[in-house]
This record gives sequence, structure tokens and C-alpha cells, in this order.
Amino acid sequence: MSVLARSVGSAFRNKVRTAAVVAVLAVAIGLALAMLVANQAVGAKVQELNASVGTVLTVNPAGGQGFEGGGEPLTSEQAATAAAVPNVSSVVGTSSLRLRNAAEAAAQAASGTQAGPGGGQGGPAGQNATTLTTSLTAAIDAGTLGGRNQAANGTTGTTTAQPVHSLPITATGIGGEVDSTGKALTITAGTGLGDYTAESANALLGTTLAEKNNLTIGSTFTINDQTFTVAGLFDSGTTFGNNALYLTLPTAQTVAELPGELSSMIVTVDSMENLEAAKAALESALGTDKADVTQGQNLESAVSSLGSVKNISFIAFVAALGTAGLIILLIMVMLVRERRREIGVLKAIGAPNRTIGLQFVLEALVLVAMGSAVGAAVASFASGGIASALISTNTTTTAATTTGRGAAMAGAAGGAGMPGGGAGFPGGAGLPSGNPLGGASQLLTSVTASASPGVIAAGIAAVFGVAIIGALVPALLTARIRPIEVLRGE
Amino acid sequence: MIEVKNLVRTFNSGDRTIKPVNDVSFVLEQGTLASIVGKSGSGKSTLLSLLGALDKPTSGDVFVNGVSLAGMPDGKLTEYRRRDIGFVFQQFNLIPNLSAMDNVMLPMEFAGVHRTERRQRATDLLEQVQLDPEKQVRRINRLSGGEQQRVAIARALANEPKLILADEPTGNLDEQTGDHIIELLSSLSRDHNTTILVVTHDKALANKTDRRFRLQQGRLTEEPARALV
Ligand SMILES: Nc1ncnc2c1ncn2[C@@H]1O[C@H](COP(=O)(O)OP(=O)(O)OP(=O)(O)O)[C@@H](O)[C@H]1O
Ligand SMILES: [Mg+2]
Repeated sequence: MSVLARSVGSAFRNKVRTAAVVAVLAVAIGLALAMLVANQAVGAKVQELNASVGTVLTVNPAGGQGFEGGGEPLTSEQAATAAAVPNVSSVVGTSSLRLRNAAEAAAQAASGTQAGPGGGQGGPAGQNATTLTTSLTAAIDAGTLGGRNQAANGTTGTTTAQPVHSLPITATGIGGEVDSTGKALTITAGTGLGDYTAESANALLGTTLAEKNNLTIGSTFTINDQTFTVAGLFDSGTTFGNNALYLTLPTAQTVAELPGELSSMIVTVDSMENLEAAKAALESALGTDKADVTQGQNLESAVSSLGSVKNISFIAFVAALGTAGLIILLIMVMLVRERRREIGVLKAIGAPNRTIGLQFVLEALVLVAMGSAVGAAVASFASGGIASALISTNTTTTAATTTGRGAAMAGAAGGAGMPGGGAGFPGGAGLPSGNPLGGASQLLTSVTASASPGVIAAGIAAVFGVAIIGALVPALLTARIRPIEVLRGE
Repeated sequence: MIEVKNLVRTFNSGDRTIKPVNDVSFVLEQGTLASIVGKSGSGKSTLLSLLGALDKPTSGDVFVNGVSLAGMPDGKLTEYRRRDIGFVFQQFNLIPNLSAMDNVMLPMEFAGVHRTERRQRATDLLEQVQLDPEKQVRRINRLSGGEQQRVAIARALANEPKLILADEPTGNLDEQTGDHIIELLSSLSRDHNTTILVVTHDKALANKTDRRFRLQQGRLTEEPARALV
């Protein structure tokens, strides 16, 4: 019979109490593990978001917001000004176009519901988004919500039945191989457009858009009767983002007949540290009355609220860990007091102090092992929910400033508990860009996916560390018990 | 050889001081079988605990083969209890959730005896104290008082100690089993040169010992040979 076997035996001596202790420990350990998982997942995501958007600034015309338009368009001269700002490593201009299916546009014009030519349906005052016709059909149906939005813009008091609308297709002329938020394009087939600062009859299509129109590499389509060839396909990760195509910047400017005008500029700063300074420098160089400078995908508020989730979860992890340690400490102190006489017997028959101490530490670890097993099971079920709950409550508090994104995140968080519960996004039509949504849904996938065995193992190692510390105190107390205890009564 | 010099143990209970061991001195040669008799509360168990290094004397000293217990650090005292002493407690003091076998093997485990050897020796010892084989693997708290007493004796013999201190080892046994235990102890002193000090109320047992002591109010006196009838 070894020390370990005796420890296991002792741990099970009072089964009811052992079960109670294990249950209490499981709660504390489960909570600690869940918090650690949440902390790790959120931490990884914050890092990822920072890495991807950290050094990118977006410059939009002052007063302008996506396709809603407003303000004076940006110019190539401003791009040159921006490029000259210290610490700016690159400036990529974009020119956004809205494409409508030619046949659909004609049908609408015929039925009299179409606004006058030049007035974009979605952007009555649109200056930096020009609506053009195309042979392509959009990959997304407008759906109820989209249809309602478009009807509200395009019709007043008409009683004719609404024709089926599809969403416009976003065409963006870009000065580099990045998407409209500055992220490198993921080309899944074919090639890029080569020199993005020269005119080209090639285009990059989103995967779903190409599929919808039965286009492959080398196929052709038209924009305003001009023929383009599909050079490559890209996958942006979101349905909305894939209902888009990219041209080179000069091509888009020529097609839109707006040479030298830019919808936005994607400015890459050389390092995270210089971001604030570069932002201020850009604002003063371009003038805040002419240009709005925003950080990357505008996720900084999400990043900062995620940062506080990370802190909260870490504090909770440490607190739960400390609680587990305290439980062990108190239980073992109680056990040592209860077994004073037995410890006296062991000493009387010549057991060294360290053997007795070891037996008690091992007994504590047996309890912790059982608590960890149950706790890890609890944590693996609860951590996704806990992480989601933390994120949704936290982003709701910042929702006042980031309404769209906060709500989207909360929606996604709610859906995370059930795989495939994507009900938080009503087709994505309500928002000007698919990226915040994409970011939020990616965030949640990674939060739930991160309940990895590695993190759980690290957490359990920490629990055992704390348990050893907690058990050491009572184990050392056993050294003070004298063998003469054997002669005392119970 | 064990040499006891002016041993005193006092307890303070309230404002009174009691002296269960009051200036006790004696010498036991190696291999002696000795007995102590005395009324309940006369201090027999207290004296035995001092000899077994379970307790520390108020004054005086015990010398084991010339080495003073009073001068030993705690670690050495533990080693002394483990290697040199076999203690049979008046209340047995076995570990209740272990089997008889495991209880007997415990002192050997502390002494670093190999597992297979431990098991073999424990089986032999339990056989010697006449514990039924099927009861050897039974948990202690499912054994009778007499059975527990015999397991306690077997445990005391586990590490082949030079000195056995037995506090009423036959108190819970029937006459026949008691006689067997007495025979076992005297054969140990005879054949293995083990010094044995037995506390007993049993006159038959006391009469079979080489030397007989009587403890009265903390004072030890030796009975002349065959004086007890
Ligand atoms: N820790 C203690 N504190 C106070 N008094 C004690 C303590 N231990 C023993 N005594 C007292 O010392 C006296 C001797 O006790 P001891 O146990 O040695 O008697 P004993 O001779 O073994 O008696 P018995 O034959 O009943 O076992 C008793 O009066 C007892 O109450
Ligand atoms: Mg006694």
C-alpha cells in the first residue's frame, strides 16, 4: 500500500463529504477554467484584430458615409498629400461604384418607379458613389428589409406592385491589392490585376457573384457597355463582401467619368506606435473640413471593449482560482484537525513528517483532480456561454457609440450558443459594409473554438499549483502534532 | 539495554500538579522480559510513553544502549520509534480505514522494506498472532476488540524492534489466546534477545516474566521473584 493509495483511500473515507467537497471545488474550478478560456479567446481575438486593422487608417470625404454620399470627393492630390505625411508607408485610393443590372433598371424605368438618371437609388445625394449599369446580376436578393429600404428611397405614393429588387453590386476601383477596408484580398482563383494604378480591362469578382452569373476565369461581362474580363476570384468571408467586384483605380475612375476623384483612401502607417500621431498629422494635412480620418475598420471601440472583457475575465479567473485554493486550505485544515489522533499514531509508529505531509497533499490533489474533471466538463459547456454573455453585456454598454456594431455583436453573441444560429444578421443589407458583421461573427467563432485542450490543461495546472499551496499549509501543520496524541481520547 | 534515570513526568490539571511518573529509575538488560503492574491511574501508560519516545519527560532521562533520548532531535526520535521500538497501545490505535494487513505493513513501509517482503512478513506475523486468514484483508473497524489487539501486536513486531513496550496486550483476549500471546512474547525475548516490557493486570502473565515491577502513585518498586501469588 503506497502513500498515494492511502491518500486516495482517505479521500473516499467519508463519501458524502467527499462528494460535497468535489462539487464545491468543481464550481470554483469550472468557473476559473471558463474564465481562462474566455480570457484566452478574447485575448487572441484582440491581438488578431489589432494585427489586422491596427496600422490602417481610412480617409473618407468629410460628411460622407459610404454610399450615402455627402461632402466633396477626395482627389489624387490629397492622396499625394497623405503619402507625404510622416510615418505613412502607403496610400491606396479607392473609387466606389454601384452597379445595377441593366435589364432590371430598364424594367423599373418603364414602370415609372425609377428616380431620374444620375440619382442613385440608395444615395439621393451620392457624390462619391456613381450608379452604373452592368450585365451582372447581384448574388443577394434584397429580401424584405432590403426591399423596404429601396422602396422607401425610390417611390412615393405609388400603388403599382413592386418589381423584385436585387441589391446593387459594389464595384470598387482600388490602387492596390487590398479590399475596401485595407485588408489584403484573398484571391481563391486566377490572378490579381497586376498594376492597380494603370487602366485594365480585367476585374476581380467575389466568389458568390461569379457563381450567380456563371462566370469563371476568362469570362466577360459589361459595365456601362464596356467589356471586362474576369482575371481572378476573391473570397472576403462574408456574403455581402462577396457580392462585389474590384477594378483598378484608374479604370473605375474612367468608367465613372470622374477622373482623379477618390471615394476613400486607405492609409497604412508604418507601426502601431505611430498610429495616433499619423492620424493627427493626416487630419491637419488634409483638413478636418475636407476629410474624416478613421482607424481601420472602425473596430477600435470593439477592441477596447473586448480588452475590458479580457481584464474582467482575468480577474474572475484569478478570483475563482483563489477560491479553489481557499476551499482546499479550509477543507484540509478541517481534515487535519479531525485526524489529529491518527496522525499521532502514524508518528508513534515512526512515520517521518514528510511522509505524513505528502499523504495530505496527495489527498488534497485527489480531491482537486476530481473537482477538475467535473469542473472541466462544466467549463467546456459553459465557457462559450460565459464568453458570449461577457461580450454581449459589455458591447451593449458601449452600444450608444457603436450602435450598429454593438448590436451586431450582441446578436452574434446570442447566436453563438447554438451553432448555426446566425439570426442576428438580417441579410446584412442594413449596414453599408459587411466587415463589422464579418468581424463580429469571426470573433464569436474563435471565442467558442478556443476552448482548446491546451488552455484547459494550463488552467488545470494553475489549479493544481494553487491546490498544492493550499494543501501545504495544513500539511505543515501536521508536523506540529505530537505522537503523544495517540494516548489522548477522541 | 535500557537505562532509566530519575524519570519524572508531571501534569498540571487546574491548580493541582499530578506526578504519574515520580523519580523512576531502573535498568533492563537486553533480552529481559519484564512486567509492570499497578492500579488504574498509577502512571503505567505514562511511563511507557516516555520509554517509547512518544512523550518527553519533565526531568530525568532514558538511555538506549548508552544514547540519551533527551538529547535526540525529533528526527532521530522518529527513527528510534520506527526502528528500535514496537509499541502495543492500550487502545490499539490502528488506522481504521485500512485492512489488518495494511496496518501491519505500515511501519515496514516507513522503514523502506520492499513491497513483496512487507506482504510476506505481515502474513507471517498475522499468522503468529492467530488471526484468521480471511480477516487479514478485512478493514480494522470490522474486527473485534481481541482481533484488533492481535493486529496491534503484529504491527509492533513488524520491524523486529529491540524493545517492545506493550500496554495490556492480553486485556481483550480469552485465556487461551492470551497464553499464546505470552508464549509468543517470551519466545521473542528468549530466541531473538528482544527486551520486552509489559504492562498488565494479569497475574499469570506477570508471573511468567523475568522481572516484575509495581507502580504506585508514580513510584516504581521491584517485586522479589515469585512474590506475587
Ligand atoms: N495529558 C494528561 N494531562 C493530565 N493528566 C494526565 C494526562 N495523561 C495522564 N494523566 C493522568 O496521569 C495519571 C496516570 O495516567 P496513566 O494513563 O499513565 O495511568 P495508567 O496507569 O495507565 O492507568 P490504566 O491502568 O487505567 O490504564 C492519571 O491520573 C491520568 O489522569
Ligand atoms: Mg494505561
